[in-house]
Amino acid sequence: MRVLAFLLMLAPGLAFSQPQLQPQQDAAAWLKRIYQASQKLSYSGTFVYRQGDRSESSRITRIVDARTDTEKLEALDGVRREIVRNGDEVKCYLPDIKVVKVDRRSKHPTFPALLPAQNAALSEQYVVSKEETARIAGFDCQAISLKPKDEYRYGYKLWADISTGMLLKARIVNERGEAVEEFTFTQLNIGGNIDKEAVKSSFSGESRQWRVENAGVVKADLARSGWTVNAGIPGFHKVVEINRQLGHSQKVSQIVYSDGLAAVSVFIEPIELRQEPVRKGLSSMGAVNIYTRELANHVVTVVGEAPAKTVQQIGDTVEYRPK
Amino acid sequence: MKDRISALMDGELAEGEVDAPIGALRQGGEALETWRCYHLITDSLKENPMLSSGFSARFAERLAKEPTILAPAAIPPRAKKSRTWIPLSAAASITAVAVVGSMAPQFFDSQVQTVAGRAPERAKPAVVTVVPMPGAVNDYLLAHQNYSPRSTLQGVAPYVRTVSDSARPR
Repeated sequence: MRVLAFLLMLAPGLAFSQPQLQPQQDAAAWLKRIYQASQKLSYSGTFVYRQGDRSESSRITRIVDARTDTEKLEALDGVRREIVRNGDEVKCYLPDIKVVKVDRRSKHPTFPALLPAQNAALSEQYVVSKEETARIAGFDCQAISLKPKDEYRYGYKLWADISTGMLLKARIVNERGEAVEEFTFTQLNIGGNIDKEAVKSSFSGESRQWRVENAGVVKADLARSGWTVNAGIPGFHKVVEINRQLGHSQKVSQIVYSDGLAAVSVFIEPIELRQEPVRKGLSSMGAVNIYTRELANHVVTVVGEAPAKTVQQIGDTVEYRPK
Repeated sequence: MKDRISALMDGELAEGEVDAPIGALRQGGEALETWRCYHLITDSLKENPMLSSGFSARFAERLAKEPTILAPAAIPPRAKKSRTWIPLSAAASITAVAVVGSMAPQFFDSQVQTVAGRAPERAKPAVVTVVPMPGAVNDYLLAHQNYSPRSTLQGVAPYVRTVSDSARPR
């Protein structure tokens, strides 16, 4: 334990030194390196997102300096869409329907490797280990695996650039070890001078005429209005509880649970504000499972990158007891 | 007489020899006692269960009370049990696969089939219908992504998890 704490203290210093000289570096410290790289590095590249038979390329650009932290994702396949994050604000541009969706990202970092205490919590649910090295998009990478200790969560395998900690590839595997989802960079430039125009939406001008859907997120206390969720799944804790707008629906509550890596959102909305018919049951796309049910004139929709069992169990334990 | 009664019980007497021992049994007495004794021996040798005492008397009494049925009704044939039943979960998964088959193929690949195919193995949770993604799936995914630890780890990359085709005008 002391060794682990020492390595975690050491990790920030290692991030830009020569970690390849530390072959025994702990897997947990690698997680921290990946997180720090994701906070500090500017980069631009192309990655492929793969799930089932579907495979899509996207361009991603990130600029971090003393004043800005801006990121842009541009889907290169299928319907045109762009996502631009500026600080905590996230805007999704959908030119085909002329809509901009404006949302806020969680302010506090939700990745657990930041704090040793939370890191320990993560290791209660996953076995974290250092795996092989591999070459991805021209970068020499170290693989880290997170194997779940129960069937309530998927397994993860992450490949990070040995010299910077940048995450080059991420795979989610089910209980049979099959990949359900994968992100892989096919081309990546780290650092250098990136034109600030590259992180601006190509629709920033014309989108002024578009309809804006603002999430209008406010903190909420759902238990006070009678809603409780008691799934009792080990390791999953409530991260946030908010009221928001979702698409056309003005009044949607969202509670997010996370075990540190996987997250599950519970959406609760009045059935009379629902625009589409309710299809009760389970649907699935890659690592994401969605479970829909009706309760007390409300629609409960559970969305999570977790096995169907987890999503369903959380959904089935939603209760409403008006006070 | 005892050997005659024994032979009668075993069905070893010729037709003409039957009258004498039956006549003796009608008289009761020692012959009837022998008949009962031999039957008791046979029953105990064959381990036939013993009838309760007074069974014969009660049986005779109830038989006498039975009305005489002149035209007995035909006994209805027993309803045949269906032998083509399917376990409930299997039936549900067949339904689920049928639902999958009829869905728009672009979002529902082998993953959905896997969920459906696994249903019979999972005895514990209730069988769930596999349904198409909600129409507003992208709204849910975007809203969810904002709070996923993956977004902290991978930046905006996980936002690519939107269903591209449902963003089309409908």
